[in-house]
Amino acid sequence: MANRWGYPDLGFGIGLRSVHFDYILKNNPAIDWFEVLSENYLDTGGRPSHVLDQVADRYPVVLHGVSLSVGSTDPVNFDYLRKLKALAERVKAHWISDHLCWTGVTGLNTHDLLPMPYTDQALRHTIERVKIIQDFLERPIALENASTYLEFAASTWQESEFVAAIAEQANCGILLDVNNVYVSSFNHGFDPQEYIDRIPRDRVVQMHLAGHTNKGTHILDTHSDYVIETVWKLYRYAHRRLGGVATLLEWDANIPAFDVVHGEALKARRFREQEDSAAVTAEQSEVIAYGD
Amino acid sequence: MGTDPALDPDLTLVDLTLEKVQRWMLACILGPRTSEETVVSEAARGWVLPSKTLSAIERLEIYRDMYLPRMEEALAIDYPALKHFLGGQEFMRLVKRYVDVYPSRSYTLNRLGDHLPEFVATLTDLPKKEFCVDLARLELALSVIFDANETPPLTPDAVRAVPEEAWESARLRPIEAFHLLAFDYPVSKYMGAVDRENRSPRIAAKKTWVVAYRRNYQVHRMDLREPAYEMLSALASGRTLGEAIMSVLTRKWRPAVKQSQLFEWFRDWMAEGVFQAVELGDAKAVAAS
Repeated sequence: MANRWGYPDLGFGIGLRSVHFDYILKNNPAIDWFEVLSENYLDTGGRPSHVLDQVADRYPVVLHGVSLSVGSTDPVNFDYLRKLKALAERVKAHWISDHLCWTGVTGLNTHDLLPMPYTDQALRHTIERVKIIQDFLERPIALENASTYLEFAASTWQESEFVAAIAEQANCGILLDVNNVYVSSFNHGFDPQEYIDRIPRDRVVQMHLAGHTNKGTHILDTHSDYVIETVWKLYRYAHRRLGGVATLLEWDANIPAFDVVHGEALKARRFREQEDSAAVTAEQSEVIAYGD
Repeated sequence: MGTDPALDPDLTLVDLTLEKVQRWMLACILGPRTSEETVVSEAARGWVLPSKTLSAIERLEIYRDMYLPRMEEALAIDYPALKHFLGGQEFMRLVKRYVDVYPSRSYTLNRLGDHLPEFVATLTDLPKKEFCVDLARLELALSVIFDANETPPLTPDAVRAVPEEAWESARLRPIEAFHLLAFDYPVSKYMGAVDRENRSPRIAAKKTWVVAYRRNYQVHRMDLREPAYEMLSALASGRTLGEAIMSVLTRKWRPAVKQSQLFEWFRDWMAEGVFQAVELGDAKAVAAS
């Protein structure tokens, strides 16, 4: 366990999606864990809730939200947090995550993960809100680096430094989305490996992988395809730098059969094993070299 | 938007607080104009950096371009038959006008469409508007029922436990996932045709009545005759079984409605699990499942 809270390495999971409900309930597939989109289960007493309870009985579950809007200048939504906390307790969620972003302001919600200006003011504001949220939820949360399509001229921090500073000063975890690092590095022209180098190892509780859509001039984080080779290489690099943490494959558009999504998630195990054996070989070579 | 202090064209980077950035960007995404027009000054244009391949405006437009499709996707989940009737283009035009008036103010998109039937009723240029209103009302009811809390229906044992002489004064409480609807158009039939055959039947005005409910977490709907609708409405509003029966036996349907039919309806509703409890007499003893 590399992270400071002892959150377990749950292995290789996928997002729980309604198109797979019947398959999961019928077949009990041998999958390590599921990530659940919190907002889809907060206000329903219908089938999604019924299925989630059964899934949570059988598998480890983590809650992942899209509406915490941690960077917004609107007041914290305690009604939302109350429901989130109750859901987390009900399904015995190992942890709760959301995104380092804002989704709306003045009471409106775009339901998009909007970029933060990386300024001192935004840093202080977000740290304060993360602390309030964690106090209410009575547990540390993990924040994910979002894919972004623009940068503010007012930013005085690099995104990776901003993410690390929030995590350190608010005492929260990081959900490192490797695909998002790649997407933003393409869109903004930074080095994705340097980004990962700046992420504090003991704060990372989970990684995300996903496919994206390359529009030529920019990349959109669409979760609509297989993970590309470059992102797998980056995942391998992240594993080398940050150690083994729970890894999740996201697939949210044009979702194929369960086995296809799960198969893509299991590729991560292969990349991790390759990286681990390469590290052992390198270590042995080093011992031999010293022995010489 | 011109009066919004966050959008003051003379703001410089030095003045740019987090709140102002967010209000400005929100206006760029949701506003009626393109980002090019919303970026109200050269100063504002300078707030976003260009990339090697895209200008600042083009980068803003990425967010703006994704907004309406996201709203359309959410509303199409709840209103598939309305989308089928209107066609993709007209439905998107409806979505655009709707979210201008009713943008999301919630952490969830699941209830984004709650005002769509009343909004459709205000429009003047929609084809077959009254039909669209009815169809939207039905689809909204189904989406509410989908998310309603689960309440176990009456079991046969619970029904058998009610003394025969107590039925007349008994009140039946419907399950939470239950909705009665009256329409001027046969929208349930239309939905069925779209669901089953992906075709659009001819649309002609005709009074119809429907009960929508959920059983075993599946949403169902049952067409009713008008007296059956009246009787079920009476029961759902808390009238006794005796009162509900008399309401249809003593009114305009007699002698068209025979007592035996009432029992058939009642048996069907019980079998479909639309009631969760029987409340008996003055003591309000509840015989639940």
